Amino acid sequence: MSDFRESQNRAHPNKTNTLMSGIVVMLISIVGIQVWLLYSALNNALEDNLNIAIASFVGSVLLFVVSLFLLKYLPAPRGK
Amino acid sequence: MADSDDSKMPNWKRDFPIRQEEATHISRREFAKFLGILSGSLALGNGAIVVKSIAFPGNDPEGEYFICNESEVPVGQMKQFVLEHTVREIPYILIHLDKGEWRSFEQKCTHLSCAVRYRADIDQIECPCHHGYFDSRTGAPLQGPPPRALPELAVRVRDGKVYVAAKENNQTQPS
Repeated sequence: MSDFRESQNRAHPNKTNTLMSGIVVMLISIVGIQVWLLYSALNNALEDNLNIAIASFVGSVLLFVVSLFLLKYLPAPRGK
Repeated sequence: MADSDDSKMPNWKRDFPIRQEEATHISRREFAKFLGILSGSLALGNGAIVVKSIAFPGNDPEGEYFICNESEVPVGQMKQFVLEHTVREIPYILIHLDKGEWRSFEQKCTHLSCAVRYRADIDQIECPCHHGYFDSRTGAPLQGPPPRALPELAVRVRDGKVYVAAKENNQTQPS
């Protein structure tokens, strides 16, 4: 018996592919922003500018949480 | 089908496949997971910077240090010295800019820690490694790769003797 999920997958065969690419692009963007935050934190921490270091740390952790959240939506591997 | 075999295969066997193409193949799923781990490592690194800033705040020298007699450094010359009483031995330079006008900066360039020197002909502090130039009065970077100003010490001259001390409004202290 075919259900709704199967019909959806059949109607949109490229959906998994698009979803996967979208998630990967978003993760790469997140990592890019985190590298920038790390660079600014390091540069400012060297000048004893602790507030920037704390703000960028909070931002970086939030982005990490977002990236973990995105991983939840990774399409299941083939055959499952 | 290979797919159905995959689901039954134990993890250790999937991690160490026999065929080379299976070993070198990285799926987008694995790549996405790797990006997640990388994101976590970057957040951790950012946290390490905060911890280091709190645990080891700027080690400004405490008190006043006698460096030399006023007559030892003529106008337009500089003298190198090291403050050994601070946590780390930090090299500094003492510059006699004009009569009665003294400046003291850390000698390590803020770019890659090369030793900077005062050039009287252009009245600037030069880093000879990558041709970075600093203002001889404020220590602010003027040209080249240095991203930040040179940390400065306050210079006090009393009875013909030159002393240095931490500059009070030099850096924003962590709260």
